[in-house]
Amino acid sequence: MTETATETLTRTAVDLPWNVVVHNDPINLMSYVTLVFKRVFGYSTEKATQHMLEVHHKGRSILWSGARERAELYIQQLHGHLLLATLERE
Amino acid sequence: MEISRNEDGAFVLSRIEGHLGDFLRAIIASADPRDDQAALRRLFPEPVTAPGEEEARAEWKEYVRPELAELFNEAALVVGRDLEGMEERLVIPPSHVDAWLNTLNQARLVLAARFEVSDEDMEKPISTVLENERDIALFQIHLYGFLQECLIRGE
Repeated sequence: MTETATETLTRTAVDLPWNVVVHNDPINLMSYVTLVFKRVFGYSTEKATQHMLEVHHKGRSILWSGARERAELYIQQLHGHLLLATLERE
Repeated sequence: MEISRNEDGAFVLSRIEGHLGDFLRAIIASADPRDDQAALRRLFPEPVTAPGEEEARAEWKEYVRPELAELFNEAALVVGRDLEGMEERLVIPPSHVDAWLNTLNQARLVLAARFEVSDEDMEKPISTVLENERDIALFQIHLYGFLQECLIRGE
């Protein structure tokens, strides 16, 4: 691999955003999950409900993508509300 | 049991009869994971599961987990104080609703982890014939969920 190609790959890896992913669990109420999405991300009821339904039907939903530091803060808030959330590289 | 709101916006649970009072008093004990590893894993899940993130997981456990534990404990203390002296009536002030939502969720998740409650369990009709500890736990999970739902709808 050439030096330029290596630099490009490294830069791409560094620039890749981190996803905040919420996973389904059988216990959390749908209304509670929607409420948490509204509070943590400031989403409208409609958008929060769409994400909640995606979690419920598909098992997971990407709630936010961006810089790792901010993503970790979101994960901490979601864990504080007892949702199953993980950080994943896009 | 009846749930209403007073002029201050507080939730008032009245006619708390029979075993309902016992189930409500059991919220705090139920929310405590003690040394149950499944319950601890559920209350404090890993923030990132990808290989190569061992350092991030270790830092999370050292710095973030204690903050989360403190948050959960503070919520449980608020709920515990509200439950003190409860007889047939319980008042939940508006400023305590978040603590209640959190603690009820702690209790539901700990019970579910401890008794390995599945999707199928949650979809079964709620039974009031409680023959063993698992039946009691399932009933508690549904009762606490009902209370959460009432608090959320009133928000």
